[in-house]
Amino acid sequence: MDTVLDAAVKTFIQVTEIWVPEGDRLVLATGNYGELSAFEEATRAMSFGKGEGLPGKAWAEERPVVLKGFDGSYFKRIEAAAEAGLTSAVAIPVFNDAKLKAVLVVLCGDDENRTGAIEVWHEADGFLMLDDGYYGAARHFEWVSQHTHFPRGQGLPGGVWSANTPMLFRDLGSGYRFIRADSAGKAGLTTGLGLPIPVPQDKTFVLTLLSARGTPIARRFEIWDSRPVKVGREVAAVRTDGICEREGPLWTDDNEEPPRRVHINQGNIGKVLATGLPLIVTGKPGLTEGYDTLVALPIYDAGEIAHIVAWYV
Amino acid sequence: MQKLVVIGAGMASGRLLEQLIDADPGAFEITLFNAEPRGNYNRIMLSPVLSGEKSFEEIVTHDDDWYATNKVTCRFGEKVLSVDTARKVVVGEKGEVAYDKLVFGTGSSAFIIPCPGHDLPGVVAFRDLEDTTAMTEAAAKPGARAVVIGGGLLGLEAAAALRLRGMEVTVLHIASHLMERQLDPAAGYLLKKDLERRGITVLLEASTKEIVGNGKAEQVNLADGTELPCDIVCMAVGIRPAVKLAQNSGIACGRAIKVDAQMRTETPDVYAVGECVEFEGNLFGLVAPLYDQAKVLAKTLLGQEETFAMRELSTKLKVTGCDLFSAGDFADGPGREDIVYRDPARGIYKRLVIEEDKLVGAVMYGDTADGNWFFGLIKDGTDISEMRETLIFGPSYQGGASVDPLSAVAALPPEAEICGCNGVCKGDIVAAIEAGATDLGAIKATTKASASCGTCTGLVEQVLSVTLGDEFVLPTAQPVCGCTDLPHEDVRRLIKAQELKSQEAVWQELGWKSRNGCHVCRPAINFYLLADWPLDYTDDPQSRFVNERNHANIQKDGTYSVMPRMWGGMTSPQELIAIAQAAEKYGATVKVTGGQRIDLLGVKKEDLPAIWYDLNEAGMVSGHAYTKGLRTVKTCVGSDWCRFGTQDSTGLGIKLEKKLWGSWTPHKVKLAVSGCPRNCAEATCKDVGIICVDSGYQVSVAGAAGMDVKETERLVDVRTEEEAIEWTTAFIQLYREHAKYLDRPYKWVAKVGLDWVKEVLADDAERQALVERFDISQSVYQKDPWAERAEPEAARRFQPLADLTLKAAE
Repeated sequence: MDTVLDAAVKTFIQVTEIWVPEGDRLVLATGNYGELSAFEEATRAMSFGKGEGLPGKAWAEERPVVLKGFDGSYFKRIEAAAEAGLTSAVAIPVFNDAKLKAVLVVLCGDDENRTGAIEVWHEADGFLMLDDGYYGAARHFEWVSQHTHFPRGQGLPGGVWSANTPMLFRDLGSGYRFIRADSAGKAGLTTGLGLPIPVPQDKTFVLTLLSARGTPIARRFEIWDSRPVKVGREVAAVRTDGICEREGPLWTDDNEEPPRRVHINQGNIGKVLATGLPLIVTGKPGLTEGYDTLVALPIYDAGEIAHIVAWYV
Repeated sequence: MQKLVVIGAGMASGRLLEQLIDADPGAFEITLFNAEPRGNYNRIMLSPVLSGEKSFEEIVTHDDDWYATNKVTCRFGEKVLSVDTARKVVVGEKGEVAYDKLVFGTGSSAFIIPCPGHDLPGVVAFRDLEDTTAMTEAAAKPGARAVVIGGGLLGLEAAAALRLRGMEVTVLHIASHLMERQLDPAAGYLLKKDLERRGITVLLEASTKEIVGNGKAEQVNLADGTELPCDIVCMAVGIRPAVKLAQNSGIACGRAIKVDAQMRTETPDVYAVGECVEFEGNLFGLVAPLYDQAKVLAKTLLGQEETFAMRELSTKLKVTGCDLFSAGDFADGPGREDIVYRDPARGIYKRLVIEEDKLVGAVMYGDTADGNWFFGLIKDGTDISEMRETLIFGPSYQGGASVDPLSAVAALPPEAEICGCNGVCKGDIVAAIEAGATDLGAIKATTKASASCGTCTGLVEQVLSVTLGDEFVLPTAQPVCGCTDLPHEDVRRLIKAQELKSQEAVWQELGWKSRNGCHVCRPAINFYLLADWPLDYTDDPQSRFVNERNHANIQKDGTYSVMPRMWGGMTSPQELIAIAQAAEKYGATVKVTGGQRIDLLGVKKEDLPAIWYDLNEAGMVSGHAYTKGLRTVKTCVGSDWCRFGTQDSTGLGIKLEKKLWGSWTPHKVKLAVSGCPRNCAEATCKDVGIICVDSGYQVSVAGAAGMDVKETERLVDVRTEEEAIEWTTAFIQLYREHAKYLDRPYKWVAKVGLDWVKEVLADDAERQALVERFDISQSVYQKDPWAERAEPEAARRFQPLADLTLKAAE
């Protein structure tokens, strides 16, 4: 395996952290702060009650939350974030039925040169509407998205909604929902990962991560299916789709060879299967396909992990 | 070099070229024609390209570099006009090329319903990249509408893809349920429901009357009067082999190009492969048999023998989130039985069709995990009568629950010691892996883990697997038994590393599949626990073999043998009198054994406590002739009596036996001490053999004289009797702590290597520590089992439950 790191790239997401419930509070499990050590230090001293700060809000409201502009908000680390140049954040709760397993928080900085999108879509009146999103420099795309809605089965959000499975779109610049695709193409967005975010209430949320080549959200995406209806009674997962800047396609045509399969406790994906928690591995390229950081997020359905999405940057 | 010309750069001919070039790159000078302006790509993955879930680049099988590297002359975008089989030339639009061998791989073309308007612009098939691009462009318009004619595999994949592209999609299907060739009505119903949930309209029994429009397709009109406005019409109603060129060239055709089982046409040096062939009346549309054909044809062209045969096929639908599997034949018929499983809440339907105790068809919707297993049963014609009742629940139900073989290692904390020899912890190994050590050799080199005795190799490999995932292929090891997937060595290491001190702890922490082990694993685990934790674990007699439980060897007639210990083979008149009296009293047969002691055979079970009591009273203890433990220490008469004796071999034998008796070991242990190199005590085929010499004692180990015969190997030469006892004791303790249960010392030493044993024992501190640990164990286990069981309470267990010899009272 190639473990030689490529030249550093400016990434869209600057901080990723995992908060897990401990008693009645959320405590930091792990985080990737890059060079923002002061922000990391400020974070390590913190914990959040239900409703407190961004992770606590995602827990209390049982939904993904996008927060843009921290000043005057409920965000608890305003000063440290300001010093680190972080201006926006998205909190993604991981629920197993009604039980909160963790909250994944990503933080981004305002930068005219950083393009990408992290969007939360919710269902209203039979359509998926944009709940909110962070777009960096992709202002026009943000405006278009705010004025776009998706019926079932259409586009990345509508596809995820109707199939209830994560999906990976390659060429965001062509095709679906016309104006949005056109704008995505102009913004340089290339790859889109969409995933359902299950919450305890009967509500539909879809998260999309749209990555641009210059400031990627990730340089490798993977989707793993761990549903018993797919893998049988053994706790395992098969990689159903994936794309990598270096290795190219990560899927297999099952006429040729079976998909890659890992068992519980086998490697990073096996660890997510075993712990049921999101995972961040950083600074160990030998364990993260040669990239600096891996983020793996489990998606639950009917009391068990149905899918795991992983992105590497 | 022969000239090979291939017409058509599809998947079948592409596979043919791969096989040919792999087998013999210099065999042919290859020219490849393709009407499409590109080479071979994975055509069956066009659906996800249409949906945007794959890019075209991802599905290219052979790019320009591949053709250049393999010296294939490509004539892409050039139609073949004719073939002259008499002159053996292919005539292309840009000129002709001669061939020695010619392959038709012309594939198939889409069947277009010849309804009015079928030739309007905007009516496309779904066969190639051009069709895909046309549909993608049609979708790039707000509110665009598509009509897909055909509810088979391809049509539905197109419909789902166009919907993802943002179109309003209607599927027209002539039959009463979707994919009627692969699915039964129940599965077809679920599929329709699934597609409708995606916003796709499905019209069944829909007959297309005409396609109308002003210069392009704008509306589809059905026979029942329904009008469907549209921007594009996709016809996906089937394929027909593309054989016009072959027919025009005089190649024998039926519905397609006729080939034999070697893929030869009836024309010399002309072959065919793929969807354009007809074999024994069969046509082909799925890729699996095409690849089989390519393999056969490659061998035929290389002059090797291979035969194409029809095989069962399975079907999957490439619509993300839609889990469907179909294989075999599921039509109703006399003598056929169905097994059906439905879970309405989860949208699951499974149907198996059985005929004459064989699975002949399987349809699955919503739960396809076992699809390949069922497919295997169909292909192999397996007799399923034994598992008929549970067949529908799949393979895991037949084999019991699966457990995670890695869970025990995954649960170890970083400070848990994996390699006892070199004191390497799990955290050290993980750090080495993170630093780039990705195989066992690299771990050995960087951490020394498993570099000595090697018994922790399995665990190190498991740490590699846990850390690296499937990039590290875990070698398969023989598990202890069916209760676990762990081999003995791993269990031993984990008992130490996790400080497991009870059977319950082992069952739980190591993920035993059974409630409390079985007759195979319980004796082993019992031994490992008592050997590693003599002060914490209590020996479990119920986990012992029957002879050990009864402290006597059962004989073929159901009686037992009783053998008192004779220290170093020495006895006395008093002991012999007591043995004689006991033999007479209990009707025993007397036999002198090879281990220099006397065996009393034919003792009834209920007499055992009494005979033990009598022998105990005469000062004798159990000879443990039935245990996995120390048996005998055979000696010669030594320097006291023998003219050649150099040392007191008898005395040393007695001292050794008195130190070692009562200890449990992985298997039986036999010793011998000979007073000189003439070796009258046959010490050089024992587990430990000592030869006395003028300068001291030669301690050798790992001999055998049973099923295997093996001479011992020299462990050490020492000067004093005390040193000989210390080395022997330390060796036996090392064996106790490391060997697999039921491995004799010679087998264990062969696994770990005598060099390692020597290295460990040569360390004075370690040797003494081993002796100390042995002594601690002996403080618990060196006791005479006869004395304990000769007590009245214990003796009652040896009485029969009822005396069946008594007659009933009058």
